[in-house]
Parts: sequence; structure tokens; C-alpha cells
Amino acid sequence: MTAGSDRIPLVSLQGVTKRFPGVVALADVSLDVREGELHSVCGENGAGKSTLMKVLCGVITDYEGDLVLRGSPVRFERTRDAEAAGVGIIHQELNLVGELSAAANIFLGRELRNSLGLLDDRAMESAAAALLTELECHIHPRQPVAELRVGDQQLVEIAKALSLETEILVMDEPTSALTTAEVERLFRVIGRLRGAGVTILYISHKMDEIFHLADRITVLRDGRLVDTLERRQTNPREVTHLMVGREIEATHLDEPRQPGDVVLSVDRLSLPWPGHAREWRLQDISLKLRAGEILGVAGLMGAGRTELLECLFGCSAERPVGGIFLDGREVRLFHPSEAMEAGIALLTEDRKRLGLFDRMTVKENLTMCVLGKTTVMGFVHSGRENGFAVDSVNRLQIKTRGIDAPVTSLSGGNQQKMIIGRWLLTKPRVLLLDDPTRGVDVGAKAELYRLMDKLCREGLGIILTSSELPELLTVCDRILVLSEGRLTAEFSGDEATEEKIMEAATFGPGVGRSS
Amino acid sequence: MSLFGRSPLTANEMGLLGAIVLVLVLTTLLDGNHNYWNEPWLSAEDIARQTALLGIFSLGAAVVIIAGGIDLSSGSMIAFSGTICATIMVLLAPDAMQNAEPLGLPIIVLAIVGTLVVGFLVGSLHAWLITVVGLPPFIATLASLVGLRSLGRVVCENVTEVQFGGKSSQIQIYDEQFRYLATSVWIPVVVFVVLTVCVWLLLGRTVVGRHIYALGGNEDAARLSGIRTGRAKWLAYCIGTMTATIAGILFIGDQSVADPQTLGRGYELNAIAAAVVGGCSLQGGIGTAPGTALGALFLRVVIDGVAKIIKTGADVYEGLIVGLVVVVAVAFSKFRERR
Amino acid sequence: MDFSLRVSWSFFSLVVLAILASGCGAKESGGGTEDKATSASSGGTPASSEETSSAPSGGKRIILITNGNSPFWDACRYGMQEAASELKLGDVGMAAVMEVNDGTPSGQLDKLRQYGSQSDVIGVAMSAVDANNAAVAAAMSKLRAKGIHVLCLDSDVGERFRDARSHYIGTDNRIGGRELGAAARKLLAARGVMSGSYVQFVGRTGAQNAMERMDGFKESVGAVYREADRMSDETDRTRARENVRNAMRNNQDLKALVGIWSYNAPAIVDVVKEQNKRDEYTIVAFDAEPIAVQQFSQGFLDAMVVQNPYDMGYQSVRLIKALVEGDSTTVAAMFPDAGKENGDLYDTGLKVVVPDEKSPLKPEDFGKKTQFMILTEFKAWLDKYGLAGS
Repeated sequence: MTAGSDRIPLVSLQGVTKRFPGVVALADVSLDVREGELHSVCGENGAGKSTLMKVLCGVITDYEGDLVLRGSPVRFERTRDAEAAGVGIIHQELNLVGELSAAANIFLGRELRNSLGLLDDRAMESAAAALLTELECHIHPRQPVAELRVGDQQLVEIAKALSLETEILVMDEPTSALTTAEVERLFRVIGRLRGAGVTILYISHKMDEIFHLADRITVLRDGRLVDTLERRQTNPREVTHLMVGREIEATHLDEPRQPGDVVLSVDRLSLPWPGHAREWRLQDISLKLRAGEILGVAGLMGAGRTELLECLFGCSAERPVGGIFLDGREVRLFHPSEAMEAGIALLTEDRKRLGLFDRMTVKENLTMCVLGKTTVMGFVHSGRENGFAVDSVNRLQIKTRGIDAPVTSLSGGNQQKMIIGRWLLTKPRVLLLDDPTRGVDVGAKAELYRLMDKLCREGLGIILTSSELPELLTVCDRILVLSEGRLTAEFSGDEATEEKIMEAATFGPGVGRSS
Repeated sequence: MSLFGRSPLTANEMGLLGAIVLVLVLTTLLDGNHNYWNEPWLSAEDIARQTALLGIFSLGAAVVIIAGGIDLSSGSMIAFSGTICATIMVLLAPDAMQNAEPLGLPIIVLAIVGTLVVGFLVGSLHAWLITVVGLPPFIATLASLVGLRSLGRVVCENVTEVQFGGKSSQIQIYDEQFRYLATSVWIPVVVFVVLTVCVWLLLGRTVVGRHIYALGGNEDAARLSGIRTGRAKWLAYCIGTMTATIAGILFIGDQSVADPQTLGRGYELNAIAAAVVGGCSLQGGIGTAPGTALGALFLRVVIDGVAKIIKTGADVYEGLIVGLVVVVAVAFSKFRERR
Repeated sequence: MDFSLRVSWSFFSLVVLAILASGCGAKESGGGTEDKATSASSGGTPASSEETSSAPSGGKRIILITNGNSPFWDACRYGMQEAASELKLGDVGMAAVMEVNDGTPSGQLDKLRQYGSQSDVIGVAMSAVDANNAAVAAAMSKLRAKGIHVLCLDSDVGERFRDARSHYIGTDNRIGGRELGAAARKLLAARGVMSGSYVQFVGRTGAQNAMERMDGFKESVGAVYREADRMSDETDRTRARENVRNAMRNNQDLKALVGIWSYNAPAIVDVVKEQNKRDEYTIVAFDAEPIAVQQFSQGFLDAMVVQNPYDMGYQSVRLIKALVEGDSTTVAAMFPDAGKENGDLYDTGLKVVVPDEKSPLKPEDFGKKTQFMILTEFKAWLDKYGLAGS
């Protein structure tokens, strides 16, 4: 299906501007989408991609500028209007009702009724079944969607969009939670959709997907449209460059670090898993961490990486068995406060939910763990508190309006830095980082890597988990691999490759263990 | 959130102060007899005492709410602690109590101290139920709401039967010294002001106070930041019950009777209303002591205004108007927050 | 979004304005405060003198405070309104209003304190719900010190607090109790019941009128019969009925049921009817609520001692007006023994009502000051005053 470049664009956004209190999310963006194309929209976090899509789909209704659909200007008052006009969106966080069945979700709000006016479940289920088969989805339409894998849930949403006869489908980071097989299935489905004439707007970070699927690529940066390119006329490096505005070199380390003495040692750590067939969440994990070293932990989702870090921080669901030694002395960690006192710090995976005090200021968030050091005669001394906060902001170069600004005014990357700052104030010996660069844009990621390197040179030991293998390979001195709660491999930085890690992560214990 | 160090009052509190003045002016104008204008001191005394009595245990309610919990048992705690105080006095000096003779300062002091200890125990019980047993605060304090009052009645009937020879559902208090604690206007007011300052300092300037805000704002993040959330909750719930205890001691002096059946019925909702009007969020993590104090003052000023304007039968309208006022006050502050 | 917000606010403001308007209009009100249960309706009390009783701003108020809510007080209110119109209160800038209490001493305490800060109150007549409450007595004394006249009606304060009020208008409750006891004794004897127990039912055992009636009853009915219990219900009608049921269940030798406050009689009769046990018990009670009068005609009550709440209301207003105007003649006429012991008590009188001439009770069984009536005569008396109950 050729994208007719000389016909009237199917969708045209003209001069769209959206302001929120304190920030301009979109500034005068004009974008044309041709009928039948797959148009990819890229940008860093905070570039405005989601906001633009929300304008298109009727989620955001008060904006400046025009939306022109098939040549005539429209103004959506609510998402229903957008749906009626043929625009649908598959959100990154899926919009399904977990307790209802797949069929019920597909027909939510437009339920089929029988002659008596009651729900006609049969008709809905058979219609749903037909749609799902087309999408290679082999689930029973009556199954509650909460029980489905994420990949299948996503297809239920696509089926819903199809049943609405969507002509313009927006897909927001659709592959972030899919397995390789599911990704390939999704691509086949996209191919079928395109064959049926659906125009697709595809939001993603991932260059390989974009360059596999897209006809044209639009890059947004800081709320402005930077450029729209034909895919065939550009390359990933150029697109990345446009997204960030500067060249991203591969992070070079000036000189390799020399690890010092063993600061943390774990001896046959096991974490019970009551009520499960496997009985142990983690089994017989032993490791050593040296000062000045970055130790990576790789593994699939559910392998136990987060649980391992939780055990080392005293916040695991059950009490672990086994020995944890700090500087040679055994420590018992039953509560995060004890871990903190011992000199261990943890940055959690879900920083919004578990790391931020969203009703407090930047200063209050930063000093939360070291308030005891700011007191004079039992009362918190604001001078000292401010001192700590300003120090942190400067040291980590956290971009903020001021230390008294609400913490919610910080961008994602700066919030992450702020949390690191909070823990650095406790002068830890060991820093545990659980997927620290998830949801952080490319520029901020590089800053974080440099920071980690710096901290190690100052004598900290870091344990880092990540799902991105290239990241682990770039940053870590050694990499451990977990699979189903067991340690299956240990590689030094030089000998590790993506294949080896993947093998150890998927094939279970006993394979690929090196020195 | 306002901390002592920047401007002492937040925008919400300034607004509340303005609203109080507005209601006072309105009442003066609409009251046929212009009582506020002609004899301000009489009304001021009354309002001051009522505000102090309400405000004392509203502060406790606010601390619990800021810590992310809720305490439904304040009213029953007032009844229970009042009964315990009277019970101690009856046990130590049965003849004096029955014959309306003075008790003497030592017995009064002992009774007050004993009651405070009981208050601390009940607060610890709440904290235990919530942190160790794992009950939701709503359920744990709801159980107290019903249980404490009933326990108070049992205690009252047993003690009066044993000491006076006849079961009674209430214990009369005649001792003038003890009653002076409440009938003199200035003692409750001073207690209230001192408590407000103490809570203000605790919440705004101490480490554990900051931990309470953190706990209320995001309990998981607080725990993962090394805060001992169990201990912070213990402190919060103890402050909740001990302020109710102090209020209970003052109430029985004010009413000169300890009646566990009727004392303090429904008061917990007034306390929560005062806290919410004063800026506390029921989700936790937000609120201040001066705000709550102003909230209590605002409620009492409105109630007195209603009584002055409507004169006869004003108590019929009291609940309705207080409810309306609370809704308007909270909606107004939410509205301003959104802009 | 904006539109619906505006609509909500407009609707809201209208509601608020409506309430305030109705509030300002209701100067004369006597609606129940936190009523724990609905009282029996009193149907026939006319509201003819409403207009003359409403308080103009700048006018003075005479306030009657009840101990709870019941048709007894409706009769009292009627007397108050009749006094207001007959004595032409409006012409001298006065008005009489009734405030209903929630059954607790703290409710009365709050009201008394509120009057202290309102300059238009000239006299208060209160039925003290708790005779020995020092705080209430102190509040009453404070009002007197301000120059406001304070009386007790229907139920007095305790002995030690007599100084808190200037006079008492109401029934001599001791005598009332004794008369009821005498009636009960004669009725039981007439039935051949020479032993057994009885239970007395009342709102609050701490009220002076309650204590005196119950003690009087006990004295008079004789030691032959055992007082099994005195059960209080705190003016909660549901509890009143529960108490009767429990009494019947817990006392195997129960022979008589005694109602002390006005709504206890209907409560007793309801339960007796429900359990079909009319023949097992002798039922005597105080006061004649309209429902009780009806039940009496149907034969469910054996005797009633009836107070005169109408007169209580009437005389209270009359006395306060006289005190305010310095009318010593009227005061002396009402209190001929002023200065002597119990000279500050005005007895509004008692009636004993029996179903018909066939009742074993005769006028000789009762005191000279007590009026003896049969039901038909009593009903005629009610009609004469336009009352539905007393």
C-alpha cells in the first residue's frame, strides 16, 4: 500500500500548542499523517509525544491550534468523539478492566443486546473470537483479562480498536513488555492492519523497530517538532542525534578502575517462598562485591533480581537464610533502617511509587534519610538541612527551580538523581540500583553512567540490575546471571557477551559458569 | 505544607482566619440584639472554652490523619477517659465523692495521672492492632468506638455498685477544685495553646515529625527510606488518644458528671471536621497544628453564630449548617489547589 | 467541565439560601433536638397563638426548657402559648418560646450558657434532667446573677442546689408517687395478688421528679411487694420497650408494671399487647399521652396519675412576667407561704383517673388535694381545654 504523498493528508495537526502550569508541553507543532502510512514519532521522555497523541485522541480537549481530519477541521470534546471519528489509541498502560472477560472488554460501552434488551454474551463472544483469531491470539474470549499475558492483553485492546472500525490507530510504546515471539506476532498483526488500510502512528524509542516498520519518522524535542524524515533517507544515528540534540558517544571510561577490598560478601543466601511449588525464591546465592566495582545482575523478569537486592536491604517479604557480611563482619538486616546504618542503600525499581514523597519539596525529599544529622538540641536546624540539600543538588547537578520547589516539578531523570542524592547523603559503602535507567531518556542515562563511575572511583561498591544487556555490558566490571532464583553464571566484563548472558538466563542452572 | 521557618501560616490558614472574621462580622450584623457588639466578652468566653475543648482532641485527630491513619474513637475515648478519671476518684475517696466534699489536690493529681496512663495504653493498643495485627485503622478504631464506651459503662456501673451500694450509669463530680480546671476559661485555653505549640514544633521541627509526614505521604517510600514506620504510628496514635484523654478530663469537670453513655457522642466527627477544614488531607501527609486549631475555632464560631442569629431552636440547625460549612470549606481549598 | 461546575455552584448556593431563609423564619420553634426516637404524635394541639408568640427582634424572651420530647410537653407548650396570649405578652414586648432538650444534662448546660451571652433573655423555666448536676446548677446561678429569672418546672434541682432557682412550678412528685402506689396497692389487693414484684420504668433515674415518684410509689405500695428494678431508657422509645420485655423475662413473680415518665405507659402497653399478657399484670402510670388515653379506653391501663403540664406552662409564663414587672401581688398570690420551708413550690395539682365506676379505686383512697375522675370526666376536661393529652 503506497502512501500517497500528493493527496490530502488524512490527519493534519496545525500549530498545536498546549500549556500546563509552569511548562509548555507542545509548542506550535504541525504534523501531517498520510493515509495508510506507518508514521513513527520519536523523542526523549518529556519531548511531548504522549501529549500530542492525547490531543489527537480527544483526551486533551483544550489546546491552541487546529486538528484537521480528512480535510475538515474538528474539535473533540471527549474520547468518544475521537472514537466515532475513527481515531483509536493503544496506551502504554493498557486500559482494560481486569475482572471482565476479553469479550466484555472489547464491547465495553457498546454491549450487544438481545431482543429482550439483556446482554447477549453469546453474540459478543463469537464476534470477539473471530477478531482474536485474526490477530493470532489464541485465548478464550470468556477469560478474564487480568489472567492473560501482557502480549495477549495488548491484542485484546487492538481487537477492541478494530471492532470500533478505527482508521487511525495510535500505538504507544507497544513492545516494552513483550517477549521476542510476541513482538514478531505484533509485527505480523501490524502488517495485516496496514493491509486493511489502517493508518498507524507508532511511538517508540527503539531504533531497530522504527527502522523495520516505519514509512516516515517525526522527531520531537522539548515540545517542538524537529523534523519529519522519510525512513529510507535517514539512519538511526541521525535520528538519535536529532532527538537529543547532541552526539552521544559511547561512554568511554578514562581508565579502568582498580577494585579494592571486598566490601560486601554473601554466603549461600536463600529466600523462602511460602505457598509456592518451588519453595525458594532465591537459592544458594553467593557473591562478593569489591569497593570500586560495579557488579551487574542480569536475568529475565521473575528471575529474582529485585528480591536479591531486597534481601541485601532488609526489606524482603520473608526473612532470608544465609550470611551477609559487610567488611568481613556478619550483619543481620531485618529492616531498611538497619541496612541504612550498616551503610547499604537501595534505589527501588518503581521510583514514583516507592521513592518519592510527592507532597514534599526537593529539599525534604533529599534530606529524608539524614535528618538525624541536621538536629540541634532535638530540633531540625533549617540552616544545616538547606546545606545538605544544596550540596546534593550541586554535586549531582540536579536541574530544579530551587530546593523548595515541589518534587513533582522535576523531570524523571532529575527525580532519579534526587533519589540517588538522598542515598549518597547517608554515605553508603554499597549502593544497590534496581533498574535505575528505566524510563530515563538517553541523555540522562549517560549522565547516570558517568555518575556511577565517579562514585566507584570514590570507593563505593555498586550492584546494578538491568534488563538492557547493552547497558550491563557497557557499565559493569562483572556480571552475574540469575535464572529462576539461582545463580547460573558469572562473567567478567571482558568475556561477557549478550548471547552468553541470554543463554545463562534462559537455560537454567549449571550452564556456562566460568571462574 | 508550611513549616515554622518560612511564613508561619499557609495560604489555607490565612484564608481560614479571614473566614472566621467574616462569620463574626456577619453574626454581629444579622443578630437582632447585636450581642457581639454590645457584650463581646460573654460570647468570647464561651467560644474560647468550647474551641479549647474541641481543639485539644482535634489536634490528636489531625496528627493521626497526617500520619496516614484515621481515629474514629475520639468521642468514645473522651467518654472512657472521663469515666476512668471519675472512677479513680471514687476508688480513692468514695465518701468525698458521694457527699460532695472536696477531694484534695493529691487525689485529683493522681486521678489525672492515672487517666493519662490509661490513655497511653489505649493508644498503644491501637498502634499494636494496626501495625502488628495488621488491621486497617478504620476497623481498629471503629472497634474502639463501640468497645470503649461499653467498657466505660461497665466500669461505671461496677464501681458505683461496689463503692456506693447502688448501680448508677453516671458519676457526679462536685469537687470545685477539679471543676475549676474546666469552668475557668483560661485553663482549657492555655492547655490548648500549649498543646498546639507542642504539636506544631513536633511536626514541623523534629525528625520524628518529618517522618510522620513522610509516613502519611507515602508509607512504602518511608519504610524503604529507613524510617521505622511502626514507631512513628505508635507515636501518632498515642498522641491521638492522649489528647482525647485530656479533653475527657476537662469535659467531665465542665459537665460535672461522668456519663459514659452520652459523653462525647459524635465528637470524633467534629474533630475530623476541624482537622480537614484546617487543611489536613484524609489521604495523609498534609496538615498543620495551627491549621487544625483555626479549624476548631472556625467551627465553634459558626455554631455560635447560628445560635445568635436563629436564637430559639438553633440546635436543630446546628448539624446541618456545620455539615454545609465543612463541605464548602474543603471544596474551596480543593478548588484553589487545582488552580 | 466549567459549565457543570458553574451549575453545581448555583444549585448549591440556592440550597444554602433556602435553608438560611427557612432558618430565619423559624423564630418560634420547638422541634426536637437529636431525638432518639419519634414521639407519639399529639395531633390535636392547636397552634392558634403562634403569631403572637413569635419574638420580634428587640423583644424579650421567656424560655421554657424541656427535659426531652413528648406529648406531655406539647400540652405544656399549649399552656405557655395560652398564657402568652391571655396575658398579652406581645403588648409589653415579650414572647414565650420552648426549647426541647436532647435528654442529657450537657444539652441543658449548653443552652443555659448560650443564654448568658444573649441579651434578650429575661426568664428561663427548666425541667432539670439531672437533679444533682453541679455544672447545670452553676450555670443557672450565673444567669440569676445576671438578673435573669430562673425557675424549675416539672422536675426540680436537688436539695443542695435550691438556690440556683427562685421557684419550682410543678407536681409534688412525692405525693404523686404515693398516690400511684396507693392505687397500685388497692388494685393488686382487689385482684387477690398479695405478693410478688413490680418494676418501675423511667427515662433517667437521676431526674428529681423520677426519684421522688419512684420513692413515693415504693413507700406507698407497701413492703409486701418487692421492687425488682428501676429501669431507665434515656428517652429512647425503643429501649423503653426493650426494658419492659426484659423485665417480664427476668422476673417470674412480676405482678405490676409502673410507668414513671409520660411515654413509659404506651411503651408498657405496646409490649403487653404484643405478648398478649394483659391479664397477668396490673399496669399503672403517670401522665396521659394521647395514645395512652386511647389505650386506657381500650382497657389496657388500670389507673393513671395525671399531672397538669398545661398549667405548668401557663403558670411559668405568668410567674416570670410577674417577676420581671415587679408584680408582687401576683407572686404573693401564687406563693402564699413564701419564706417558709417549701414555700417556693407551686403545686399544679394531680388527678387520678380510673376507667369507670366499676374500678375498685374510690376517691377516699387518695389525698384531698388530688382530683378523682373517671375516664369520661377526664376526657371532658381535656376537651374543655382543647388538649389531646396531659
